[in-house]
Amino acid sequence: MTSIILLSIFGIINLFVGFMKSKRILLPLSLLFLAVVFGANLFSWNEAQSYFNHMLTIDNYAVAFTGIMVLATLLLLPFSQHYIEEANENLAEFYSLLLFSLVGAIMMVSYENMLMLFIGIEILSIAMYVLAGSDKRRLRSNEAALKYFLMGAFFTGVLLFGIVLIYGATGSFYLTDIAATAAVNDGTVNAMFTLGLLLLVIGISFKISAAPFHFWAPDVYEGTPTLFTSYMSTVVKIAGVAAFYKLMAAAFAASYAAWFPTLIAITVLTLVVGNIGAVVQTNFKRMLAYSSVSHAGYLLMALVAFNERSDASILFYSLSYALATIVAFAVLQYVSEQRNGDETYAAFNGLGKTNPLLAFAMTVAMCSLSGIPLTAGFFGKLFVFTAVVQDARLMWLVVVAVLMAAVGIYYYFKVVIAMYMQPAADAAKIRIGSFASFMLIFITVFTILLGIAPALVSDLL
Amino acid sequence: MNFILSSLIFTPLLAALVVLLLPVRRQKAIKAVTLLGTLVQMVLAILLYFRFDGSAFANGQQGYQFVEKLHWIGFSLGTLGRFQIDYFVGVDGISISMVLLTGIIGVIGVISSWTITKNVKGYFLLYLLLLTSVTGCFLALDFFLFYLFFEFMLLPMYFLIGLWGGPKREYAAIKFFIYTLVGSLFILIVMIGLYTSVIDPQATAVQLGLIGAGGTAAPNAILQVQQMLQQNMVSSADMVRTFSIPAMMEPANFIPGSLLHVLSGVELWYLPIRFIAFLLLFAGFAIKVPSVPVHTWLPDAHVEAPTPVSVLLAAILLKVGGYGLIRIVYPIFPDAGAYFSILVGGLGVLSIIYGALNALAMNDLKKLVAYSSVSHMGFVLLGLASLTTEGVNGAVYMMFSHGIISAMLFLVVGVIYDRAHDRAIQNFRGLAKVMPAYTTFVIIAFFASLGLPGFSGFISELLVLLGGFSAPEATGMLPRWLTVVAVFGLLLSAAYYLWALQRMFFGKYWIFPELRAKATITDLNFREYLMLAPLAVLALLFGILPNLLLDKISVAVTGMTQLTLQNGQEQLELVLSSLIR
Amino acid sequence: MEPAVNQQYVPSDYLPILIQFLAALGFVVTTLIVTHLIGPKRKSAVKDAPWESGIESVGDARTPISYKYFMTAILFVLFDVEVIFMYPWAVNFRSFGLDGFLQMVLFMGLLLAGFFYVLKKGILKWD
Repeated sequence: MTSIILLSIFGIINLFVGFMKSKRILLPLSLLFLAVVFGANLFSWNEAQSYFNHMLTIDNYAVAFTGIMVLATLLLLPFSQHYIEEANENLAEFYSLLLFSLVGAIMMVSYENMLMLFIGIEILSIAMYVLAGSDKRRLRSNEAALKYFLMGAFFTGVLLFGIVLIYGATGSFYLTDIAATAAVNDGTVNAMFTLGLLLLVIGISFKISAAPFHFWAPDVYEGTPTLFTSYMSTVVKIAGVAAFYKLMAAAFAASYAAWFPTLIAITVLTLVVGNIGAVVQTNFKRMLAYSSVSHAGYLLMALVAFNERSDASILFYSLSYALATIVAFAVLQYVSEQRNGDETYAAFNGLGKTNPLLAFAMTVAMCSLSGIPLTAGFFGKLFVFTAVVQDARLMWLVVVAVLMAAVGIYYYFKVVIAMYMQPAADAAKIRIGSFASFMLIFITVFTILLGIAPALVSDLL
Repeated sequence: MNFILSSLIFTPLLAALVVLLLPVRRQKAIKAVTLLGTLVQMVLAILLYFRFDGSAFANGQQGYQFVEKLHWIGFSLGTLGRFQIDYFVGVDGISISMVLLTGIIGVIGVISSWTITKNVKGYFLLYLLLLTSVTGCFLALDFFLFYLFFEFMLLPMYFLIGLWGGPKREYAAIKFFIYTLVGSLFILIVMIGLYTSVIDPQATAVQLGLIGAGGTAAPNAILQVQQMLQQNMVSSADMVRTFSIPAMMEPANFIPGSLLHVLSGVELWYLPIRFIAFLLLFAGFAIKVPSVPVHTWLPDAHVEAPTPVSVLLAAILLKVGGYGLIRIVYPIFPDAGAYFSILVGGLGVLSIIYGALNALAMNDLKKLVAYSSVSHMGFVLLGLASLTTEGVNGAVYMMFSHGIISAMLFLVVGVIYDRAHDRAIQNFRGLAKVMPAYTTFVIIAFFASLGLPGFSGFISELLVLLGGFSAPEATGMLPRWLTVVAVFGLLLSAAYYLWALQRMFFGKYWIFPELRAKATITDLNFREYLMLAPLAVLALLFGILPNLLLDKISVAVTGMTQLTLQNGQEQLELVLSSLIR
Repeated sequence: MEPAVNQQYVPSDYLPILIQFLAALGFVVTTLIVTHLIGPKRKSAVKDAPWESGIESVGDARTPISYKYFMTAILFVLFDVEVIFMYPWAVNFRSFGLDGFLQMVLFMGLLLAGFFYVLKKGILKWD
């Protein structure tokens, strides 16, 4: 709860700091704010407490995911330097919107009441609609914002309809009440309940861009300014998956049989569509969009497994995925700026020669995303797969996922090939600030550290 | 505790760190550090070889030598027991030969890499990382640790081919990467399945309070735990699951009702799940071996890779595949091994014949050697499938001997490529006239490879074929005609080597006119003597004195074979009976 | 014995309604198409020109309106809505006690902060 209050206050302060002449203070200030929130959040560890008539509960689950999402924001903000350099007049608003949307994200991982879930999703999404269109002069950015807004509004409607139907069937918005009603009725109260559940699953699947509700993702990701794409594919996705798991575990555990077939179909489709879709892309950013779809699939696998390891697997996978994705988008941002907005693989040609640091960080990130050992991503996949095979009947799902992971290598390594094995088209060295370089090194080391000692995070939950 | 194995694994890594800290310009120093690192590793390997007691048979938890075991990653899974990964290394008769081979080839590879000029620092850094992961692979006794090294091996190799390779290097590198990665992911699946099915009896005994924490493994306590487990008396929360390979080798450690227990009765695609697991593992390692039909990455990788990388690839990396089969696949799934012996043996023979026929058709000398590798590694599969003492000993011997000989073959190819920048067989004639010393080594390498008595290749092929011929009576594994077909492989290998020899080296000296401008055909220099001569000596030494190696390996290999055979037949009956029920 | 009225309706019982619906729709569509096809058409520049009480039209029909108008309108809505919260609060003011007062102060404080932000951003400036 402290983190929600702090973030709201800090967001407002940020808005007013934006009226100062120099925008240079904004970045350090926002980082400081986030660090304070990160620290304050940890105080709630092992001290579960409910607020607002039990509509929000800050338990260890909420604290852990809040921590990861705040950390992810903290790590991706330093790469907003070019906004400072070009003295963007709306910089303070960007930072504030990120802080405000984090409030929504935190509500999504700590809700006990469906209304809070809905409000959380809305707070998160509305800020993202604005940020998606923040590059006002670029047509693609406008297109992204409009597409995201229309689609988002539509699927929020679906989600809301689902909530309403569930309310109609059980007479409550509280997860515990719903679970209680479902438990005494063998998990399926009536047709309305089942339909509502299905609509809920569809609504959240949209938010985490799971196939077949992923179609917006490539266009929106491509059009949105890279910094916010990075935020969109890490924090928004993590919040969505965490909310999804919480919903299923707290309200619909007894209805497992009702949602399991739908979810497993969505999972398999997401894995296949995400990975196969990524293969044919020539634009690196679009590839990352499809890759984020595929990672939603791996995250959903842990949800499909639905046992004691699920939450810890989702947590670890989220963190490893966020670290790698932030690096990938950060490097992309630097490269495409240097190459006049070119975001294809070809833009990376020869990066290994001109900027060894960027290339190395990118290589580690790609290894982590594809699940090569000694990176965090490997253990992420391992934990998810271990959670799934506890149920022997799901072995085939692991086989599918493993094959898709092999497909993943192909497109992740395309950029590695471009960086190290292609001659540089533009031999100029890309200039990056020392703080941003430090952050890149930090994330890279963190990724490798988690690949050697995953126990740092894996047994938190 | 003895740290010799850890030193073996981490010496190259230490050298890599030093190389990392050296500035890019100091190329001499980088090379010197790499050479020093590999030399230290070789000395350690030789030391280990002589201190290794060949008469001890490694079976179950005991019997591995120079064992080091440290807890690495471990946490509780609630009612699902504990998750436990150990840093668990040890050496036995199967791995000792591979470690020795790695030590020797590591040094030879550095000597051969001396002429590298492009991005020296990066090259040697990757080279040392590769050596670390291969050594780790051969020494790991924890499946997870093995897998980690196994998969990490891909990265340095990928870059070594992709950055220092020939014109089609990107294609070859990514092909190599994806093939091996798909294989290793198969292995990952089975590894996870095994992990859910196997407990560590000693740790479980500690958990149950039968022995004190850190107490030594009392054999009866372990036996008691295993009996309790099979009678469903150990609660799930007390089970300490493990990745330990020795624990996985004992059928008594499998949790009743778990996925891979012999009596699980689970079927997938009309086969018992244990058989599926075996096939997945086999596929994973067969890609690495490589066996026909998943060998197609090998010729591409070899053709594009620079000479020293080819040497490492052929001499050490391919051995990981065969080693994995002997160390992991057969002992853990002996039932499926017995059931599928005809498949494994058949693929082996197919590799022998198909590889040899391809080699016969090649115009590129390096491709010829690459296909001869495919052909020779087929013998490893054949020997293993026979499950006879001679056959499996022959397979291990073949891996060692092929490591020495294939290194020599690729070096020999590299020598002519360095001089002429071409290696097409039809572009050269009568090289013996201008390069007599070189021709001598070529002849030694070719004859050693085709199995001339007196060279190590002969011993291994002899053992494998003996095993194959005795298999129908001794173990009832392979039909005799299969081995008869394999013998034709010997004939074919004699044919392609002698034909190549005749075309390139004998007759009147002539080289293709377009090459003459760039080519400077001179005989061997000192550096090339330095890398070829030791290998020639070793090929001869192990051909004349096979006991030098067999003394160290045969007890463990024989023990493993008999255990596999015995367990295999017992478990096969159980698996099949559980299906009928 | 048999119930005189059938209680169970099957979908085909609704067929008359569907036919009625189709007939209505069909009439509209047919009329539109037929008049379009058989009606006389005379086209000339004069007939096609936009016409407004005999005066020739100037400029575009879509007149741009300053975005500031929208801004002000939306801000009006935003600040107006908060009154809705004030009414019930005022009615129950006594029962809320000091807590209720402080909560409203906080709420108004936030609103005020928003108002200052809007002023500083210059959104209400018309020039």
